[in-house]
Amino acid sequence: MKRIIVFLTTLFGLATAGFGQTADTATTTSLWDDPMLTFYIVVGFIFVVVVLVLLVALYMLQVLNFMVKQATRERSERLGITYQEEPSFWSKLWDKSNDFVPMEKEKDILLDHNYDGIRELDNHLPPWWTGLFYVTIVFALAYLGFYHLSDTLPLPIKEYENELAVAEEQARKMKASNPVAAIDETNVTIVTDALALADGKTTFLTNCASCHRKDGGGDIGPNLTDEYWKHGGSVQEIFKVVRHGVQGTNMIAWEGFISPEKMQNVSSYILTMKGSNPENPKKPEGEIYTPKPETTSDTTKVQASL
Amino acid sequence: MELEKIHYDNKIVKAFIIATVIFGIVGMSVGLLAAIQLFYPIANFDLQYTSFGRIRPLHTNAVIFAFVGNAMFAGVYYSMQRLLKARMFNDSLSWIHFWGWQLIILAAAITLPLGMTTSKEYSELEWPIDIAIALIWVVFGINMIGTIIKRREQHMYVAIWFYIATFVTVAVLHIVNSFEMPVTLFKSYSAYAGVQDALVQWWYGHNAVAFFLTTPYLGMMYYFLPKAANRPVYSYRLSIIHFWSLIFIYIWAGPHHLLYTALPDWAQSLGVVFSIMLIAPSWGGMLNGLFTLRGAWDRVREDAVLKFMVVAVTAYGMATLEGPLLSLKNVNAITHYTDWIVAHVHVGGLGWNGFLIFGMLYWVIPRMWNTKLYSSKLANLHFWIGTLGIVFYALPMYIGGVVQSLMWKEFAADGFLKYQNFLETTTQILPMYILRAVGGTLYLTGVFIMTYNLLKTAASGKFVANEEAEVAPMAKVTSTGGNWHHVLERKPVLFTVLALVAVLIGGIIELVPTFLIKSNVPTIASVKPYTPLELHGRDIYIREGCVGCHSQMIRPFRSEVQRYDPKGGEYSKAGEYVYDHPFLWGSKRTGPDLHRTGGKYADSWHFRHMLTPGEVSTGSIMPAYPWLYEQQINKDITASMINALRTVGVPYEEGYEDRANEDLDKQANRIVEGLQLEGLETSSDAEIVALIAYLQRLGTDIKLEKVATNQ
Repeated sequence: MKRIIVFLTTLFGLATAGFGQTADTATTTSLWDDPMLTFYIVVGFIFVVVVLVLLVALYMLQVLNFMVKQATRERSERLGITYQEEPSFWSKLWDKSNDFVPMEKEKDILLDHNYDGIRELDNHLPPWWTGLFYVTIVFALAYLGFYHLSDTLPLPIKEYENELAVAEEQARKMKASNPVAAIDETNVTIVTDALALADGKTTFLTNCASCHRKDGGGDIGPNLTDEYWKHGGSVQEIFKVVRHGVQGTNMIAWEGFISPEKMQNVSSYILTMKGSNPENPKKPEGEIYTPKPETTSDTTKVQASL
Repeated sequence: MELEKIHYDNKIVKAFIIATVIFGIVGMSVGLLAAIQLFYPIANFDLQYTSFGRIRPLHTNAVIFAFVGNAMFAGVYYSMQRLLKARMFNDSLSWIHFWGWQLIILAAAITLPLGMTTSKEYSELEWPIDIAIALIWVVFGINMIGTIIKRREQHMYVAIWFYIATFVTVAVLHIVNSFEMPVTLFKSYSAYAGVQDALVQWWYGHNAVAFFLTTPYLGMMYYFLPKAANRPVYSYRLSIIHFWSLIFIYIWAGPHHLLYTALPDWAQSLGVVFSIMLIAPSWGGMLNGLFTLRGAWDRVREDAVLKFMVVAVTAYGMATLEGPLLSLKNVNAITHYTDWIVAHVHVGGLGWNGFLIFGMLYWVIPRMWNTKLYSSKLANLHFWIGTLGIVFYALPMYIGGVVQSLMWKEFAADGFLKYQNFLETTTQILPMYILRAVGGTLYLTGVFIMTYNLLKTAASGKFVANEEAEVAPMAKVTSTGGNWHHVLERKPVLFTVLALVAVLIGGIIELVPTFLIKSNVPTIASVKPYTPLELHGRDIYIREGCVGCHSQMIRPFRSEVQRYDPKGGEYSKAGEYVYDHPFLWGSKRTGPDLHRTGGKYADSWHFRHMLTPGEVSTGSIMPAYPWLYEQQINKDITASMINALRTVGVPYEEGYEDRANEDLDKQANRIVEGLQLEGLETSSDAEIVALIAYLQRLGTDIKLEKVATNQ
């Protein structure tokens, strides 16, 4: 029994360790980059130690208990008294809370039923069980009262409205304090810092790659690495396509799915792929895009970032 | 008093036992295949008959109706004869019952892989098989009631009460849930639509668990556990109280499968509170089982039979506490649609049903073959390997369920979903799926060990086909004493009627208002019936078992509305489903919800995605559906489809069935032309075209309502 439990815990521990690693390779955000990692390791370590200490303590308690009993038994044997073990506090509590009829008095409550040799006792209902039943009935009545007779607790739709109200308040606050929440195609700019581009890449791999390929070479969607664009190649135009999609094509609108900041990052990331010449690209679609004079500065920035 | 010599029929028990073991192995192997498919999609074999959507119902039907069902009949036939001191009422009925049930299983094993399904969980079999089930069930009932009538024991023991409740309730559930309108020999539409269909289905589904997997097994526990332990049953009064409260309360709890859905709030709340009130009645059974072992615990250590039974009863207690807790709205909000539920049912199925069956088999076979168990060592090995299997099955699924659910709900600081791509949440828990398959393999290995052990046992003894017993005839003068319930135990007909009344109350109070009171399903003017092409697509969606992994019910949570309808901002409304015969809300999200998928992607995306899901969405575990591109829809039945739906209340105008195929062709050609522009060639009759039409329609009608109100 013990051996099996030990085996089981080890196996399970190993397997969950594997879980962490596989998750690492499966998703693009690495577990090992998590700033909370040290915290988790420390907490996990403390947890394991506490469990081990508890187990050892329990074991020692058991040994101690056994030794005391052994000593008492030996003493009573020396004194010639028949040793009778005192029932533990827990077993007394257990008997009492279940209202057990003691085993030796069992024949008093044996009914005269006999079904293929099966006899039946007439033990009382365990008091805690009856109590539990009553509590659940009271809970049921209170539940129906709170939800349906008074308006104390919100039903699902009301709950949803409350949730939305909280979220809207948060969004309002964030827009006020954080300009990136208000980005749209009129004020989007090319971002060049490495963190933002890395975020853009993540967004690209999780959302765009299924149609444009991981390397941007194009599949269901067009090649994003050449000079040809169907709807314009400025960051504003790319942002607009990402945000609103293109009616009648496979390009869906990403507004609402990903934040404006992420759309800015991914649009910027897409521009960094230009000229990367992936293998087997999709044939060009649209027209060669030449930046308008006022956006030249943006393009130079991109080139600088490359 | 003169003793009479009678013979108990062991042959029929033997037949059911053999079927139990065979279908146990088959059903669990199919389950293991399904488990492997979830992390290794190649195991779908790109073959329609073996793809997950069709394999899953095959697994559930095989383990529930073939494995647990046959074991139930074996246990009932064995114990009932002895408890009533009478051979079964009629041997021919016994054998009709046996062969009828096996033919039904055979029919299921053929039709489910062929995609003939109603899509209603645990009630997937099509209408001719439904009728056969009803007939065979009645044969079983007559045989049972007949035996009770000609009994030689004045009073009915508690096991018999549970058998009676099982018989009447399953009959009612099966018949009411199977009202359907045939289209062809193996195709029908549910008579109910949307919300109502969902309520009837989960009233059935939940109580199939209650009255097919629970009550007969409680009855069997009440026979085999005291027999094996050689101890008197702990408390007769506890039996009475927990029996009646259990059957009365259980029937109300179905709506807890539909919390936060479009089901009316009052019905949801009834589902919650009756689930909570179910804790004590369920635990009454567990306590009566475990306390019966008082004074026999030292034997539990050695005896594998008792060990199996103890774990079975404990698993029953765990599952029946967990179930009510899962019915609390705040818990349900997290666990519904996740693998937690899969773990929950498997604790019940593997622990309670499986282990009780194994315990029963180890006890009964040596007795029927008049010998000793071949190896108690192997039986103990089976016990430990099985227990380990359950742990390895359940724990990863608990973890996976919670992890995935929390990922679904997590918002980043910018107010958007942190894991916007559903697939990320799936790949995250794939290691848990692998562990689950390990658990399943362990459990199945145990069953093989048992099979060997039992075969060896049988070989070492001699089968007693007709077991002789000397019994006294029933006393002519019925005793007048005893409390009211003891009196009731002498009156099987009255008892059956009372049990029927007890189970009907909850069903009637929940079902009737949902059908009759209009405000329970507020209508939406812009929601229109499906077009003929979409209907064909919907039938394909049903045939392929898409509902096994994709829900069509967006709950009113910010995280779900944001994920599935960020622009429209609409959760799913009751009025959107009024033409859905059957409803397809689903109960598990292995893939994303599809209720607002219409218009989200282009036709060509679906076209490519269904052919190579793993390429379009890298890492997707969805099977490929290459046959949809080769097979053609059957336009000959379009008219019967329209007619059948009109009969159950969908307002297609008179005579539309004759023009339906014209509309169908027009819509199909539009889609095919669109695909051609993208360089994708397909025939307009290809099944994929119909499926795309259906997917693009999903959840879009409500948007027209918005347009209409804005104008």
